[in-house]
Amino acid sequence: MDRVLALSATGRIRRGEPARRISDLLSSGLDARAKSKRQAMDQPRTDEDQELLTRTKSGDASAFDQLVIKYTPRLYGLVYNMTANHEDTNDLLQDIFSKAYKAIRGFRGKSTFYTWIHSIAVNMTLNFLKKRGRRFQLSLDDVDASIQNDKEFLEATATSSPVREADLSELQRRLNEAMMKLSDDHRAVVTMFHIQGMPHAEISKILRVSEGTVRSRLFYANRQLQNYLDEFRKNPVS
Amino acid sequence: MDEFNDNEISKLLRLKRYEQPPPGYFENFLHEFHRRQRDELLRQPLWRICLDRAHEFKFRFPVRSLASYPAAVAAVLVCGAIISLKIYQQPETTQVALQSPPALSTPTSTDAQWTLASPGATRTFRMQPLHRFDASTQTHWATTPPRYVLDSVPVSYEPTFRF
Repeated sequence: MDRVLALSATGRIRRGEPARRISDLLSSGLDARAKSKRQAMDQPRTDEDQELLTRTKSGDASAFDQLVIKYTPRLYGLVYNMTANHEDTNDLLQDIFSKAYKAIRGFRGKSTFYTWIHSIAVNMTLNFLKKRGRRFQLSLDDVDASIQNDKEFLEATATSSPVREADLSELQRRLNEAMMKLSDDHRAVVTMFHIQGMPHAEISKILRVSEGTVRSRLFYANRQLQNYLDEFRKNPVS
Repeated sequence: MDEFNDNEISKLLRLKRYEQPPPGYFENFLHEFHRRQRDELLRQPLWRICLDRAHEFKFRFPVRSLASYPAAVAAVLVCGAIISLKIYQQPETTQVALQSPPALSTPTSTDAQWTLASPGATRTFRMQPLHRFDASTQTHWATTPPRYVLDSVPVSYEPTFRF
């Protein structure tokens, strides 16, 4: 019984096929899956913003205004949590939408507008952070009062003694300081995954890196945050 | 619980979603965006604005036929030629009028003593043309605009003729 079960490119086991080297099978399978994934990424997708995009490209400025209104809250959260400064966030947002408006005619639709605008936002914010360096000041937004009704916040205050003992502003300051101690690239991944709730696949498209890179950055960032917040656990009230 | 695990870190970081900008920020953002776009546009040089408008026109109305570009250039040249002809034709009509000698002359007095008190004083006036035309002055008249010389003598100063 020299015939060996061989893996096909689809990952299903087929009986009776001649044996091939496992490495060849695995590489071909991986290449085929990667290729199919890349093809899927390159295909133009059905985009809920497509109508607004078409109207914007034809010269309808009000259509772009609607896109601005739609994406401003989300992009604000992304940029703010990367910069921890409200004034810088405001300036960056203006530049992001200005750049998007100028470049929108070159947008071919290979990705969704959501991915495209987030890519612009992340890249411009990272460039800004490189120029800003370590000379910055926290300029934090106020915490919305509805946090008092948040289930996770209630659980955190109920179970975790440091969180329970520290007031809300102290907690906010500690979290932001811990975030700012991360590198810009790690902070971007943490912001998109933990705060904005994006899946790994979407983050990899925005950053144009593999999902493995996203996962490794998240793992490293979590370890860093654990160390920083461990100090908070030891000294909950400064 | 001695340390924060990944799940707890994730829960804590999700609380940052409650950090919000001041009230009304998102409502005013679009207005601020428009204002900055206008300011940026005004800071651009005129040639840049014209170039952007031309690009915008090209994208909005895509011209597929290459023959339209020479036609557009020819139209611009024809318009420019017509406008330039109209501008340069206007001074020629005034030049034609200036070349004819004006009928202006001033009398020259031959009698040094002449007063208004002497009745019937007559004087012979020798009329001399104010301007003498020759070929050299024609070009001068062609370029300078006409001027009205108030050298004409009133009727009362005209001599009475003796018969």
